[in-house]
Amino acid sequence: MSAAILCRDVVKVYRTRRALDGVSFEVAPGEIVALLGPNGAGKSTTLSIIATLLEQTSGHVEVAGHTLPAGARLARRSLGLVPQRAAVYPALTARENLAYFAPLQGLDHRAARAAIARVLALVGLESRADEPVAQYSGGMARRLNLACGILHGPRVVLLDEPTVGVDPQARERIYALERSLAAEGGAILHSTHLMEEAQRLCDRVILLDGGRVIASGTPTELVSRLGLRPVLTLHTERPLPAGWPGTGVRARATSATAERIVLQIDEVGLVPALLDRARADGGEILDVALHRPDLADVFFHLTGHELRDGDTGEDPTP
Amino acid sequence: MIVRALVAAFVKDVRLLVRDRVGLVFLTIAPLIVMSVAGFSLSTLFGGVPQPGAYVLPVVDEDDGRIAAELRERLTDDATIEVRTVPTREQALELVHSRESAAVLVIPAGTSAALARGSRASLRLLTDPVKFVELTNVRFLVEELRQAVGQHAIDLAQRRIDRVRARALAEERRLERRFARLRAALARTADRVHEVHADVARRVEVAGARLENTLREGLRRTEAERLGAARRRLERELAPLHEFVDALAAYRGTFESWLAGVREQAGRFADRIPPPPEPPALPAALEQLAHGDDDALASRILGAPGDVALPKLPLDLALPPLPEPPAVTALALPSLPDVRLPRLLDVVETSVSGAPSRLNSFDQYVPGFSITFLMLGMLIGVAMTLIDERELGTLDRVRATQAPVATLVLGKLTVRFLVGVLQMIALLGVGRAAFGVSLGPQPVALLLPTVGIVFVGTAFGVLVAGLAPTRDAVIPLGAIAIVTMCAVGGCWWPIDLEPRWMRGLARVLPTTWAMSGFKDLMMRHQTVTAALEPTLVLLLFGLAFLVVGLVAFRPSRV
Repeated sequence: MSAAILCRDVVKVYRTRRALDGVSFEVAPGEIVALLGPNGAGKSTTLSIIATLLEQTSGHVEVAGHTLPAGARLARRSLGLVPQRAAVYPALTARENLAYFAPLQGLDHRAARAAIARVLALVGLESRADEPVAQYSGGMARRLNLACGILHGPRVVLLDEPTVGVDPQARERIYALERSLAAEGGAILHSTHLMEEAQRLCDRVILLDGGRVIASGTPTELVSRLGLRPVLTLHTERPLPAGWPGTGVRARATSATAERIVLQIDEVGLVPALLDRARADGGEILDVALHRPDLADVFFHLTGHELRDGDTGEDPTP
Repeated sequence: MIVRALVAAFVKDVRLLVRDRVGLVFLTIAPLIVMSVAGFSLSTLFGGVPQPGAYVLPVVDEDDGRIAAELRERLTDDATIEVRTVPTREQALELVHSRESAAVLVIPAGTSAALARGSRASLRLLTDPVKFVELTNVRFLVEELRQAVGQHAIDLAQRRIDRVRARALAEERRLERRFARLRAALARTADRVHEVHADVARRVEVAGARLENTLREGLRRTEAERLGAARRRLERELAPLHEFVDALAAYRGTFESWLAGVREQAGRFADRIPPPPEPPALPAALEQLAHGDDDALASRILGAPGDVALPKLPLDLALPPLPEPPAVTALALPSLPDVRLPRLLDVVETSVSGAPSRLNSFDQYVPGFSITFLMLGMLIGVAMTLIDERELGTLDRVRATQAPVATLVLGKLTVRFLVGVLQMIALLGVGRAAFGVSLGPQPVALLLPTVGIVFVGTAFGVLVAGLAPTRDAVIPLGAIAIVTMCAVGGCWWPIDLEPRWMRGLARVLPTTWAMSGFKDLMMRHQTVTAALEPTLVLLLFGLAFLVVGLVAFRPSRV
């Protein structure tokens, strides 16, 4: 199956700053792909290029088989853009907003009516469809934002941090919508800087940093590819003896104090045995923590800084 | 699809506008309030003291006399007005029609000569009443000139009168001397006449007495002789009459005696005797002739000697010659000088721009503030909403759709443009109904500058949206520009209040052209052709704003 989104060696230069430096990835139909990275990593620039809002300086970009920027007009038929902020008119009702965007998406009057009813039901706004958006909660506005983006049933949906500032309930609803779109064959490119969101929602993750793709794959693949192991932290009644837990155990201490010891273990299944041994050697266990390796660890491992280190609030635009 | 998208954009922006109540108030009520306050409060401005500034006063000197020289002399130190001598009225009127001057001063041929004669003379002031303030300055100047010329004429006349008076006084003294001599001569003549008259009277009296005595003696002798002869002749002629009368008297006595005898004899029958026939009585005159004094009769018939009238004496008295009267030489009176009271120079003012001489202050303020609030409305309606679209992300969303982004912009601008046109029509209509502003001979022609300035306002909104770095910068940036353009462009006060350099600068502002178009139609009562040039310029301004604005506008936040 051909990729719905294809980026190959995409470079975008704003004057002297390289916002994208050879970005390559693809998104297949029915796939939800997270574009994960801190602010300024190049997520919005990448999305803007795919959404035909920007032209790449160099590199190859395809959307639904149309090469950009030459095929932008055709590509837009298959594109649904969900901007980060609710890109709707607060003074208009949800129905009026949708009625405005429908013809812009090429829908005639009849098709527009049907599409509006469909997406209103999909995002759960039928009962509030005739209220001004200004009266909506943030979550409702985000759902309407999403509805506007998928009104014409696009094959490619670009979501730019759609859950920022959204309450958990609305967030779950958005996740469900994305999954539904993917289930219908849509290619979903979901930009986010929330590691948990990418890990929970997306089939694949593309890690962006400094305008470059530093890794891509499923979350499990990324963790395992780097050999990252779970970390167990123990706080016992008495200090554990030096060299604990000793040989023959697939775990080793990475740091130890009189009260606390941090162990890197090969697998989570070793934890009960280690807890028994700690209780025997150090008395009662006062505190225990287990950390499974995740995308943040992957990111830290690959870049040397935290996923949120680059979250400086810097405007990515030139 | 493009049409559907355009309609959708149009409908959407109408909805946005209708729900923007503050914007609607700003579009309509605010300008009405401000124009009312300004109109009432600043109405005295139209009669206020002119502000110093450089004005051009074209002068057409058809007279080529001293008035133009006087004008130049008076204005040498006056920086307010630059007098520019122009050969013909046509060339001077060009300066008025091109708005460079508010009036042309024409000194008609013969003005100086007429003034010199004391005849009526007029200056012609060909005006554009719309440039009221400048015109007021010119009127002050012309009035000063008029007073100066009048005073000059009075001074000249006074000098002439003084000269004539001096000559008249000299002539009067000369005349008095001559009359004195004449009176003396006449007195001498009168004395001489009296002497002559007395001498003549005496001589006549002597001669008359002598002549009368002589004549009277002669007549007395002649009369006596004539009477003697007549008596004698009368005695002879009356002798028979004497004899007959005497005989008759004797007979009458005889008859009486006889009759008495008869009656006596008749006795008792005497009364039966009829009376005898009465003989005819002798006439008294005959009786007098017969028995009168001959002398008396002669005197009665021939007249007494003393009654003879003296005949008129043919006196031929030679009077002494009268003395010759003194010769009175004819007075050589000086000719009367043609001195008349000088007249003040008249000023005949004629509007050459079509505007009436008295204007309504709202004719200035209604279009002026309508333009101001139109521009401000466009700033909010176009610039801010364009930036809002960008900030909201709706512009990006539209750009990512199949419809050209121009549909959004065009739809927005079309709505705002139509709203602007309606706003201007409504404000002009209210101005007409509430304040009696003139809409000119062709009210429909007002659509031309209206369309022009609304297009400028719309495009200016795009320009500000393109130049303003953020939404917050729109109001300060746009409002300052609009306030400046409107103030300098003559929207808030007559542009001729401004100094000349600023008026020159104002020509690069669209508001100036808009006001020019509106004033031409509303105040100068010109026809649609007058609005063509301002409208064309406005459209060019609008096009330039639009192009620059669209180029400068960043459609995306990315």
